[in-house]
Amino acid sequence: MNQESLNIIRKIIWLRSAQILVNDLYKSGEFIVPIHLAMGHESIAVAVDIVMQENDSLVLTHRNIHYNLSRIGTLKEELDEYYLKETGLAQGRLGSMNLSNPDKGIIYSSSILANNLPVGCGYALGNKTMNLNGVVFIVTGDGAIEEGSFYESLLFLKSNNLPTIIIIENNEWSLGTKIHERRANIDLYKLADSLDIEYFLLQGNDPFEYKKELNAARNSALANSSPILVEVNLTTLGYWYLKNEIHPDGKFINYHGGPAPKVFNFKTKKYPEIVPSDQDPLYVLSKYLEPDELIEISREVVKELERELI
Amino acid sequence: MKYVQYINSLIKEAVKDKPNMVIFGQNIDAGSCLSGLTTGISELNKGLTINTTNSENTLVGVGFGLMLNNISSIFFMKQMDFLLLGIDQIVNTYNIIRQSNPSASFTIFPITVDSGYEGPQSSLNNFDDFCSIAGVEGYSFTNKEDTKKIISEQLVKPGFRILSTGQRLLREEMRELSIIYSDPDCKYFQYKKGDDITVVCFNQATPYGEELYKTILNHNITASLFSINSHLCADYEHIMNDIKNTRKLVIIDDSKSKNKLSDRFIINILDTCELKRKKVITRSLQENDFYPCKDTLEIDYNSVVDFMIS
Repeated sequence: MNQESLNIIRKIIWLRSAQILVNDLYKSGEFIVPIHLAMGHESIAVAVDIVMQENDSLVLTHRNIHYNLSRIGTLKEELDEYYLKETGLAQGRLGSMNLSNPDKGIIYSSSILANNLPVGCGYALGNKTMNLNGVVFIVTGDGAIEEGSFYESLLFLKSNNLPTIIIIENNEWSLGTKIHERRANIDLYKLADSLDIEYFLLQGNDPFEYKKELNAARNSALANSSPILVEVNLTTLGYWYLKNEIHPDGKFINYHGGPAPKVFNFKTKKYPEIVPSDQDPLYVLSKYLEPDELIEISREVVKELERELI
Repeated sequence: MKYVQYINSLIKEAVKDKPNMVIFGQNIDAGSCLSGLTTGISELNKGLTINTTNSENTLVGVGFGLMLNNISSIFFMKQMDFLLLGIDQIVNTYNIIRQSNPSASFTIFPITVDSGYEGPQSSLNNFDDFCSIAGVEGYSFTNKEDTKKIISEQLVKPGFRILSTGQRLLREEMRELSIIYSDPDCKYFQYKKGDDITVVCFNQATPYGEELYKTILNHNITASLFSINSHLCADYEHIMNDIKNTRKLVIIDDSKSKNKLSDRFIINILDTCELKRKKVITRSLQENDFYPCKDTLEIDYNSVVDFMIS
């Protein structure tokens, strides 16, 4: 395995560990701002970070911790922002759900469902106005595609030939309802096809596959001056089962935001995998490295995070 | 000259030398070009001029995205009613954008629908109320001089604002009024100076004030005439001094919603002026406002003057 691939694996483990550390602090009541963790979203975030080039930009949602941490590569400034300190990433003026970082290409994050898509459209139009050869990555979710501005934005991007990649993180949940509980199916391939927009489906949490596909999507967006739709099937980890008299067998509780109560604490596991399936990007990494190699990287990551926060 | 032609000439003057400007909106460079408002602008604009999709929410977001990319833009739209579809962007997105003191300009230029015959869905004629939702800078104008001041100073300048005039006035001959005092930020103007009555006009009501002024002169007394052009709190000291002198005040506000700027102005007066006579000419929402009907204020000018001098 080459160094670049090792760096990708290391980054995914670091991103998971950093989030578990945030979750620990969150569980202990450290933050007053609402935070939406993205455990289970690490592969797509790291792949986007690698694929982005100098003139590219990233537009995010309320669940942005994975992209923000991937882009900056350190934790302290993000934590300080959650503490609303002046030393925070945005001097304590944005908190979590609106956290952006223009120095790293994250130009806007919105807590309003689908609100970021139109802003991404405008930013891409600005690139066109300046003849700037960059791609705008706009991240959204399966809940936001129910909003009218999702369709409006696709139409605007296509009508104005704007190279963009719309990433739909499809975790099937909108707060406490699954897709089939709230709406009819949306076939994104057909929707994209109807607008003559290319569609990619990513699933399985393999970061190397994601990197390859996103590079292809990016090249196509630039070559054809067109938006590209990328649907990513993933699971937001941190879910748990509530057992009580009414639900003796356990009721599934989806993780949406706030602390994930059942996720183990930082340093209590040698390797921070949460579920042993390809729902978990850390489980997927075992395709590439032996368990002891992954544990060794995890140990280094824990030390790195501890050093940073001392 | 029709008022719309005059506004069109001012817009062209304001944008002709601006590089990289994006001017967009539905039918702005097609058909009647918004009844002549945007005629010929594409030929002068050195940047992009775009006939857009019918997607108001996205289009407002596009303006903010352009701003984040340091590109100035103007979004022209036929009716302010349509802008209600973009209120999420105006409130929520602008709350983020305004933190960064952007160097680019974004102006939305809707026409306030005040003819009354559009039907039940076009009852929103209170421009100040609309702008106040997000504390957005908004400027309305009704005549040659205030239009010239506001368009030349506010249409293209760093930051975000909304400019609007009434649909009814656009079709009429341009009204000429000379400004004798101007608030430095174009928030109000004085056109006449007199010693007997102070007339203050809100929303699109200045033409009514002009008619009242003429009636007052016919009674061999004099009056001061003001227009309030922006809802943002201004220093009204100049007007207050005039009211303290005349101690007789007529307020004319043709807006229909319940949150009237003139109400806030009256609170100011209660704190600072002792009045001998006062008359508030306004309208409340009535049942027939939701049917197609004439939207003008019915004012018996002679009765108003008789009351004020009695």
